[in-house]
Amino acid sequence: MVQAVFTGFFGLAAIWFAVVVFRTSSMVRSALALLFSQAAIGGMFLAMQTEFLGVLQIMMMATEMAIMAIFMVMYMMDPGGLGGMDMTHQKRASQVAGALGALAALAVAFFAGWGPIAPEVRPAEQVYGLGIEIMERSMLIFETAGVTILTAMIAATAIAIKRRGKE
Amino acid sequence: MSAVLTVLMLLVGAYLVAVLEGWVSTGRLRPAGPITSGLALLGRESVVPRQPDRIFFEVAPPLLLVAALLAAAVLPLSPGLVVVDLATGALFVNAALAYVMVALVMAGWGPDGTYAMVGGFRFLGQLIAYSMLIVMPITAVAMRAESLFTTEVVESQAVLPNAVYQPVGFVIFFLAAMGVAFLPPLDLPTAPGELAGGVMAEYTGWRLAVMRLARAVLVVTLAAAISVFYLGGWLGPVLPPWAWSALKTLLVAAAMLLAGRYVPRLRETHVLEWGWKIGIPLALFNIFYVGVLLLVVE
Amino acid sequence: MIFGARQARPSFLRRLVARAQSREFSAFVVPGPEAVRVLGVDLDATGLQISGTPRHASVLLLVGELPLGLKKAAAVAYAQMPRPRAILAVGTGDVSPLPEPNVSAGLRQEDVAAGVAELRQLFAQSAFSPEVADFDVDAIRTQTEYVCSMHPEVVRSERGSCPICGMELVPREAAGGDGHGAMDHAGHATHHEDMDNGAQEHHDEDHGSRGDIDHGEAEHSTAAHSDGEEGRDDGHEAIEQGGHGQESASHGEHGHAGPGSTDHASADEGDANPDGPGDSEHGAHSEHEGQGQHAGMEHGEHEDHEHAEHGGHGHMDHGDMDFMSMVEMTRDLPRSSDGLQMEWVEDAPFGPLFPGLPGGLTLMLTLDGDTVARAEAEGIEGRPTAEDLAGPAEELIGRLARLDPLSPVAYRVLALRALESAAGVEPEERTALARVGALERERAASHLGWLSIFGHLLGYSWLEDRAGRLQISLVRAANADEITRLRVEAGRLSRRVEKTPLLRRKLKGVGLLPEGAEFLGPVARAGGVVTDVRADEEVYRTLGFEPVVRDGNDALSRLKVRLAEIEQSLDLVGKAGEMTGPEPATNMEPLHEGPATVETPRGVAILRLRLGEGAVNIVELDEPSARHLGLVGGLAEQRELADALVGVASLDLSPWGIAR
Repeated sequence: MVQAVFTGFFGLAAIWFAVVVFRTSSMVRSALALLFSQAAIGGMFLAMQTEFLGVLQIMMMATEMAIMAIFMVMYMMDPGGLGGMDMTHQKRASQVAGALGALAALAVAFFAGWGPIAPEVRPAEQVYGLGIEIMERSMLIFETAGVTILTAMIAATAIAIKRRGKE
Repeated sequence: MSAVLTVLMLLVGAYLVAVLEGWVSTGRLRPAGPITSGLALLGRESVVPRQPDRIFFEVAPPLLLVAALLAAAVLPLSPGLVVVDLATGALFVNAALAYVMVALVMAGWGPDGTYAMVGGFRFLGQLIAYSMLIVMPITAVAMRAESLFTTEVVESQAVLPNAVYQPVGFVIFFLAAMGVAFLPPLDLPTAPGELAGGVMAEYTGWRLAVMRLARAVLVVTLAAAISVFYLGGWLGPVLPPWAWSALKTLLVAAAMLLAGRYVPRLRETHVLEWGWKIGIPLALFNIFYVGVLLLVVE
Repeated sequence: MIFGARQARPSFLRRLVARAQSREFSAFVVPGPEAVRVLGVDLDATGLQISGTPRHASVLLLVGELPLGLKKAAAVAYAQMPRPRAILAVGTGDVSPLPEPNVSAGLRQEDVAAGVAELRQLFAQSAFSPEVADFDVDAIRTQTEYVCSMHPEVVRSERGSCPICGMELVPREAAGGDGHGAMDHAGHATHHEDMDNGAQEHHDEDHGSRGDIDHGEAEHSTAAHSDGEEGRDDGHEAIEQGGHGQESASHGEHGHAGPGSTDHASADEGDANPDGPGDSEHGAHSEHEGQGQHAGMEHGEHEDHEHAEHGGHGHMDHGDMDFMSMVEMTRDLPRSSDGLQMEWVEDAPFGPLFPGLPGGLTLMLTLDGDTVARAEAEGIEGRPTAEDLAGPAEELIGRLARLDPLSPVAYRVLALRALESAAGVEPEERTALARVGALERERAASHLGWLSIFGHLLGYSWLEDRAGRLQISLVRAANADEITRLRVEAGRLSRRVEKTPLLRRKLKGVGLLPEGAEFLGPVARAGGVVTDVRADEEVYRTLGFEPVVRDGNDALSRLKVRLAEIEQSLDLVGKAGEMTGPEPATNMEPLHEGPATVETPRGVAILRLRLGEGAVNIVELDEPSARHLGLVGGLAEQRELADALVGVASLDLSPWGIAR
């Protein structure tokens, strides 16, 4: 019961911060609202006793969203939002898409066969299980993805350096 | 119970750190200094600057305090004395410390002042340079303990503390911890001579008191983390476990505070350059080295 | 009651707090700690801590006679200090526009210590008082003006649309520093200090949630700002935009005048529709004098990077707006070297009371993130110019010596030499030697003072303390024995500094001067140029003087030159054997033009004067700091902020040696 309350609380917090992302006109606020929204999802993980994923989510999102904030301030005009820029656009289309998405999510939640509820797993075993999952069954996928991303990052850097040299 | 005790220890630690810091900066040892200066700050006006981002401005000091307290919550003082012994404790320390950066960015952006803003973004810009150097040495520590439980990390050092077992990781973590606590010579976000206080420049009165308290708690927390991860935490002969923890933490904190007095502040480019080009490869080497030790030697 | 007390009824708890505050004095020093050390006064010994920002200070310490520019800057700093606050004046005369100092004292160590003690007592008794006086500076009053985001030259006092492009004008804050409408705008003149918030807190203590009500008002008024258009009633935006509203009530009015909320409402209305004439001056400048670090990041953004869609919020229909690409938007804006000009901060003031620079020196930096895009340095406003120096001959020496409190002896000697050369007399050898002693002692002290400020800028607190203390001992030294002892200490200091880890890496390559720049004194000698007028002087040759020259032309070589010169100067003092102040020469016959040169600690100063009928006309006064002023831009631009500051500081500009 307590668990459900906390999960719900963090879920609502995540949604509320997500709304703030678009409701504010300040880029920095928007980025940090996204951060807290993601951290609230991390809180949900924690409330659902998936400790490792929760902590990881909370940690990674702080870093990632902060980096995003740098870029938002660098690239966006009016990062302080004094101009009161509206961050919403294509309202009709997004309303439709949002409604459809929500329906789809609800449909999946209600109609999918979720199977029996898994017995409680000790956090340490979860970490272990996650490690086995990553390192054994899905190892190829993770390794491929990792190397691909690394290649892309190095390539992007290389392109940037070359262009600057020409100028 | 252990929560109350931990908070009490943290406060005592923060108090001693404040006394130490006063001694380092003014050369006078004033045991009552933190009390009078705290009282003095509480009695002064807490000014809100013009055109603040009010939410950021208000949230930053408490967030800094909360981040430091959360990190302290998983650090054990003695075998039974830890607020929550998380299965992901070692990782959680890092997660909580990430919010130090968030708090400073908020404090920098909130007051709408140039000095504060430059300070906040400096800290953000250095992020990778120090946060990678926090998490990667922790990885190597966890490898040896074969656990992320902070208590098991301490127990894994019964024979040999990590400071000796993996000295490279120790040095990197120590320096990165000074970066997280923005202590001189890594005090780029506050930089007294360059930014006149930087992220702290616009805080006054009780808000400044919270900020300073949070900073002191952060220093104690990081010193405790170093003691837990590298110096064997509560392990030690004769004295009771909690005394060893306290002693090691205080010594580390004193070393962190004193180091900055005798060197100039690092240039931002150097922090980034050394963090990325030297620190990260060394941290990777440290992981590799510990791995080899674990597989080959043991 | 002390001026600057915090408004509250004294109670037991508050008395306790006041006592704590009286023990925790941290002082914001005007013009700066170096000006105190020059006088041989040790602030540390009086128990005053020195604060780098007025926000963290409780005592404003005024030192010596201050020119108008510094008094104005001090007034802004005072306004920024949270209450309770006090003013301690040391050897200062009239301080307006600041209020009367709470305690005045003389310039000697024991006077200052007595003054601090007296202030402590005063503070402990009356830091909290039921009645407080209000303090207000014109420079920090603001009003709202309306500008076009695309055409910055369009500035109106009322909202409307731009005559050029038809876009909605956007509000921004401006200082009414020119005083044109101080009275008219009293309703919405805001205090930079924003003490209203503090006042709210007093009221929180007394009557509960007054503060919250006020906030509500502020938000409400913001809604009015945006004409109640769609989507602007969100609390976040309201607060963000509500800067005007929140602070619109001045300290005095706020809450001390009964219920007050209606007053506020009307004040806020006034804010939305100011009736004053269009402000001719962009306020940011005067508003940010002193420690004003509320530079407009957001103001700047506001002016420069206004989004076209913003107009849509006003009167235009959203759907009608064409999307304007970022490239188009920023086409005419200043381009920074990285091509990203979004984090552009226009004219952020570093000074005149900036802790890492000598007090009085103002650096106006346009920042591109933390890179300096444009830098400009200024001296002290109201500092006497060469014309002001004309007058009776016998007072000339004193007048000139008062010109630069950081190196009075050099200016004194300059005046003497000019008078002598005009009169055609040569000083006796003993006098010449005594002058060498005095000059060289001052040079060593001045370099040590620079070293201390530089140490503070570098965050190298050991150096800051050590050099500062050595400077004070040197200024106080009474005889040759003490100088010999200090010579040893200086040698130790300089070796220690040269061996400091990381220092070389920090300074090397910072502050490189462009080819062909004109420079003097230690700055030139650090660039490998042998230029020192002392080498041409007979007295110095007999003492075996050789100029110190180093290669590098960067901050590191300048540090090395000064370190070496400290030792050299102390040696010279030892050889000269005397260091009494230079005595005026006698029998000055009016003759003709008298040129004179002196190698001041900052480089050569040249004075030409003409004597006539006992009065002196200054023909020309050429000071090294003024000559170096032009170097600042080249040193700082396109540098990271800290490097730029280190580069500028390495020049050792004296703000007192720059006519403005």
